[in-house]
Amino acid sequence: MMGRWPLVLAVLVAIVLAGVPWFGNDVAVQFGINALLLATLAQSWNILGGFTGYVSFGNSVFYGLGTYGTAVAMTHFNLPFGVGLVVGAVVAMLCAALVGIPILRLRGPYFAIATLGLNGAMAAIVSNLPIAGSNIGLVLPLMRGDAIFYELALALLVVCTLTVLWISSSRYGMALVAIREDEDAAGSMGVNATLYKVTALVLSALFTAIAGGIHAYWSTFVDPASAFDTTLNVRMVIMCVFGGPGTVFGPVVGSFILSAVYEVLASEISTAAVLFFGLVIVLAVVFTPKGLTDLMAGARRSGWRYLFRNIRENRL
Amino acid sequence: MVLAQILLNGILLGGLYGLMALGMALVWGVLNIVNLAHGALIMLGGYVVYYIFVFTGLDPFAAIAVAMVIMFGVGFLLQYGLLNLIVRSALLNTLLITFGLDVVITYLAQFLFTADFRTINPSYAGANFSAFGLTVPGIRFAAFVVAIALAAALWWLLNRRPLGLAIRATSQNLVAARLYGVDPRILYAVTFGIGTALAGAAGGLYGMIANLTPYIGASLTAKSFVIAIIGGLTNPFNVILGGIVVGIAESLATLYFGATYSDVVSFGLLVLVLVVRPTRTLRAA
Repeated sequence: MMGRWPLVLAVLVAIVLAGVPWFGNDVAVQFGINALLLATLAQSWNILGGFTGYVSFGNSVFYGLGTYGTAVAMTHFNLPFGVGLVVGAVVAMLCAALVGIPILRLRGPYFAIATLGLNGAMAAIVSNLPIAGSNIGLVLPLMRGDAIFYELALALLVVCTLTVLWISSSRYGMALVAIREDEDAAGSMGVNATLYKVTALVLSALFTAIAGGIHAYWSTFVDPASAFDTTLNVRMVIMCVFGGPGTVFGPVVGSFILSAVYEVLASEISTAAVLFFGLVIVLAVVFTPKGLTDLMAGARRSGWRYLFRNIRENRL
Repeated sequence: MVLAQILLNGILLGGLYGLMALGMALVWGVLNIVNLAHGALIMLGGYVVYYIFVFTGLDPFAAIAVAMVIMFGVGFLLQYGLLNLIVRSALLNTLLITFGLDVVITYLAQFLFTADFRTINPSYAGANFSAFGLTVPGIRFAAFVVAIALAAALWWLLNRRPLGLAIRATSQNLVAARLYGVDPRILYAVTFGIGTALAGAAGGLYGMIANLTPYIGASLTAKSFVIAIIGGLTNPFNVILGGIVVGIAESLATLYFGATYSDVVSFGLLVLVLVVRPTRTLRAA
């Protein structure tokens, strides 16, 4: 499936990244935390979206629940950060199961559309909960130390990527891919499609929620607007699709590249940055629907004609 | 009496909701594209009507007719130049590309029209009349009538005109339709154009009874989707009926739970519909 070199390269990159707090400046570390957390979001989206082909436009809900779970546990119950992360993750996974079980029984576009509404619904519920600080939000205890958060975010991304690496070479992952390619055939081979789809969503919610929790403690403040930010959905979906859905390293590479571009654009005009993301996804679907990783392999084989192969296959 | 008034408001609003969903149902049924940019196109139509009204002083209902022509062109070009390129690929890809279009249209709108609230406000906006002891808001009633009329026009087009025959034939069997001389590239573009024109009309009416902002798209897409599922994809009148169901449900929910939970209610309704009617075959027959 995968050669030895990408793995070796990935380990080297991870080691170099782990050293950034020692030789990088504050700006680099802070950009790094955001980029690593976004890469984790793209990678968790990949578990369901990339492997089973079921698109979620509501994963930011799990991020929001992760931030709020952590924040509520730490501010109202004075629990340590680690316990807060667990609380957030459990709440998000429960939410994933509750939403997933009725809707992922269905095939086709239903799940995608349902997730469109999920974010607004959850934001409305949370902003009416007194324990979650209603519309005002919560302030978490202050902890200085960008380096710690940086290493935590890196560790989370590594664990998430290792999980995806395991998925890509396990029976579990093969079942997910079988669902993507032909759900009827998968079913006839004894794959319980609903169960696999729901567990993939729950797994995705786990990593997304922890990323949210880390961000909550780092930024020391949560409110409904930032926790349930819909542009976050846009970003994670696009980073994964741009990098290569259903691959192990594609989403990470895609998000590092796009995070860097976004940083540059956002310092100019913030509207243009999101607009750019919309254009990236449109162009990616037309020209490189299998992502950057496939583009690199395909371009070596067939050169620039690779870009038009997808159109040739799928146009009317 | 309060309840009757709430029901009336729900029915009038529901007609408009049905019109919003008409275009989505048509495109979904014929092209098999679930257009996630549909709500953004409704929003765009609303702004087109708004600017025609503000700059030319044309009556908003006449402006809607003009906007429909413009939006038809937008939809035709979108399908012909872009969506036709990938229309045969997996559902995942059509969802992703229309999602991307939604983002592009939303942020272009924010850039061009700013995020300020806009309302299409003709001189007769506040007028209402009473019937059977109930107050009927004039503009909502007119919007309801326009929605019904457009549904009837769509039904007539699909069932009584050669173009409608070609559209229905293509949705049943692309290859056979091609053998009978239908050019699917043009036909798909025309169908998407009609869907977009209907979205534009819905946007114009929406702008008269609610605020237009660049961000209304996503929730309108979700709403249109629910209605398309309830109403099915074949008969325009059923879609209007589906819209009325959702309109009544929403009005009752606002009465009993309050307006802050309207997003929660429409999401609950969506899940409920998916749980109760999952097996309905949605492809146009």
